[in-house]
Amino acid sequence: METIVQNIQTVPLNNYIILSSVLFVIGVLGVMIRRNAIIVFMSIELMLNAVNLLLAAFSAFRGDPAGQIFVFFIMAVAAAEVAVGLAIIVMIFRNTRSIDINFLNRLKG
Amino acid sequence: MESNFLPSDYFPIVLQLLAAIGFVGLTMLATHLVGPKRKTKDKLETFECGIEQQGDARAPISIKYFLVAILFVLFDVEVIFMYPWAVNFREMGMQGLMEMFVFIGLLLAGFVYIIKKGALDWE
Amino acid sequence: MNQSVFYLLSFMTVLFALLVVFSKNPIHSALYMVLTFFTITCHYVLLNAQFLAIVNFIVYMGAIMVLILFAMMFLNLGKDTEPQKPVLLKFAAVIAAGLLLVTIFAALKKTDGGQITGIASNNIGLVKELGKTLFRDFLLPFEIISILLLSAMVGAVLLAKRDTK
Repeated sequence: METIVQNIQTVPLNNYIILSSVLFVIGVLGVMIRRNAIIVFMSIELMLNAVNLLLAAFSAFRGDPAGQIFVFFIMAVAAAEVAVGLAIIVMIFRNTRSIDINFLNRLKG
Repeated sequence: MESNFLPSDYFPIVLQLLAAIGFVGLTMLATHLVGPKRKTKDKLETFECGIEQQGDARAPISIKYFLVAILFVLFDVEVIFMYPWAVNFREMGMQGLMEMFVFIGLLLAGFVYIIKKGALDWE
Repeated sequence: MNQSVFYLLSFMTVLFALLVVFSKNPIHSALYMVLTFFTITCHYVLLNAQFLAIVNFIVYMGAIMVLILFAMMFLNLGKDTEPQKPVLLKFAAVIAAGLLLVTIFAALKKTDGGQITGIASNNIGLVKELGKTLFRDFLLPFEIISILLLSAMVGAVLLAKRDTK
């Protein structure tokens, strides 16, 4: 068991950066190819999580707890964002019976 | 207090998780294989407390539940910040208490607003 | 067994994230999202960030995903009602995302020091240490978070409350 732990702790920082980048790009892709507002919302959550993972990795490799505190703040902001954002989406649905983001082009001036 | 915690300390949790999932899977498989199968129309119907079923599970729900869920998320995040405070409560003394009172005071203002606005009233 | 736990977890994370984006059914997307969060929680445990793992579990999997599933139930999304974007647009989106990935990787290659290994095995991930840092160095952001949550509450109530007129 100890050797497994030793091996995990020798994963280079680069691998975590690559993993976070891939997750972030998947989130960007989701925002671009989906038209369902809630899926777009979840893709944004995915991007936020990629950043969280990267911050936690930096924090662990540097032995500095500040990175993990940042993750807390990001989570609080994400929760506030989800609360207000989903309320907006639900209101849009109640007024237009649709959550297609292309439908919202009418918001243009 | 031990000096160091390692991810390997969570190995028992992984074992327990595997045991739980394995038990559920094995039980379902066993009942599927061992139990007799008599498929009549009444048996295949979804059981709903003896009442005739109507519609599917995707029926729209009232927006009141949704507002309660939103407020739950916000207060849930608030509680997250209380764990680190509670663990260090003794060392921070009076100053820590004041800091938390400011935090809770602002959130309490929000709670009072919610109550005044009648957001949690059920009719 | 060489570092394989990390690679297995990373593979699962990326797989579930892709399934979130490409599932046709929004409910399936949300369930895959829960699995993605679970694998990220496991990553936190491997990184010695134990409290962060718990918080991720409670906030993201427990609260935020429940809220999103709730919203889906409220919106009563039928099967495959989502209109699709044109294929050309999807193709362009995939290319753009690929370019972003290439850019990030190129920037990463330019840096050095990414080969650092060895997660510091100390106690910074425990709730006590994090609390000390939080209340010593990050006191002002902590208080401001309460204002943010207050404004989110007011905003959500204003938006979601049915007018009683």
